[in-house]
Amino acid sequence: MDALVAGAEAFIQVFRTAADVFVGFTTGIIPIVVVFLTAVNAVVKFIGEERVEGFAKWASQEGWMYVPVRYTLLAFVAVFMLTNPVCYTFGTFLPEKNKPAFYDAAVSFVHPITGIFPHANGGELFVWLGIAAGVEMVAPDMVTALAVRYLLAGLVVILIRGIVTDIIFSMMWKSRQGGAA
Amino acid sequence: MQALIERIGRSVGGVVGTLFQAGRDAVDLCLKTIIPFMAFVTFVIGLILETGVGDLIANGIKGFASSLGGLMIVCIICAIPILSPLLGPGAVIAQIVGVLVGTEIGRGNIDVSMALPALFAINPQVGCDFVPVGLALGEAEPETVEVGVPAVLTSRMITGPISVVVGYLFALGL
Repeated sequence: MDALVAGAEAFIQVFRTAADVFVGFTTGIIPIVVVFLTAVNAVVKFIGEERVEGFAKWASQEGWMYVPVRYTLLAFVAVFMLTNPVCYTFGTFLPEKNKPAFYDAAVSFVHPITGIFPHANGGELFVWLGIAAGVEMVAPDMVTALAVRYLLAGLVVILIRGIVTDIIFSMMWKSRQGGAA
Repeated sequence: MQALIERIGRSVGGVVGTLFQAGRDAVDLCLKTIIPFMAFVTFVIGLILETGVGDLIANGIKGFASSLGGLMIVCIICAIPILSPLLGPGAVIAQIVGVLVGTEIGRGNIDVSMALPALFAINPQVGCDFVPVGLALGEAEPETVEVGVPAVLTSRMITGPISVVVGYLFALGL
């Protein structure tokens, strides 16, 4: 009998703990996400699509000096303003040969951005939040610093991804053309 | 005079309408996506914290997630072009592993300094399932898609481990 009670106790304890964590997330994460989402949604609507598209056209020009613009700034603005998955439509403005690299850069940024701007990818927050929740337990004052660094490191990573994918794509493209001819 | 009042009324209405719609979208996303996933995630966390499962997982993860070399191995495996499209969808795998690693950080089994490199190590497959759709959204030609898909997948083999190193470097002095 005692064993049964202990078993039931242990069983229900899983859900008590889970519920405590759930309440912690609900009061800690949901309010700020809702308010933030509302604000950014409104800002995005007020700025308007035309202005963002104008910027995208400028940032999509050919030339090596636009490489950092294309794979950091343009990807950032696309993910921030249009959010996942609409952000990839910015590829439209780019030369055909840069589209795969831009996709790679943009898609690689949809998680690093969520540490500070959760609206950009609300459906996939727990890549960041899962790790952040653990950090919160041992070093609560480090979470914001970590979010900022995640964002900055993300920008460096997407620049590298853009450049590397550009090179690989042009190599594959050439060997394919060579094979066809 | 009436025209003026009308114009003010209309623009105020427009602003309020936009804000209201923004709020509605925000709450919608929370209810339909964030909270359901949160419920699932908190259940997993409860399971890890209260049962022996946690220790099993901890032993498994600890070896990989507590050193840079281990994270590299995880990252290279996730970036294999055959696996990456399978691991990609909805970032579900990345989110679950994120929660597992996060929970172990919270329990003190993994050092906090590994958090940032781990964020990149568990996620080299991001978007690998979505390349054709993403390129189509950017109005790419079919030939571009054909070459672009393997190009992105191959590129991840190189940039995945690099991203872990970048994460490691950015975590220095945290």
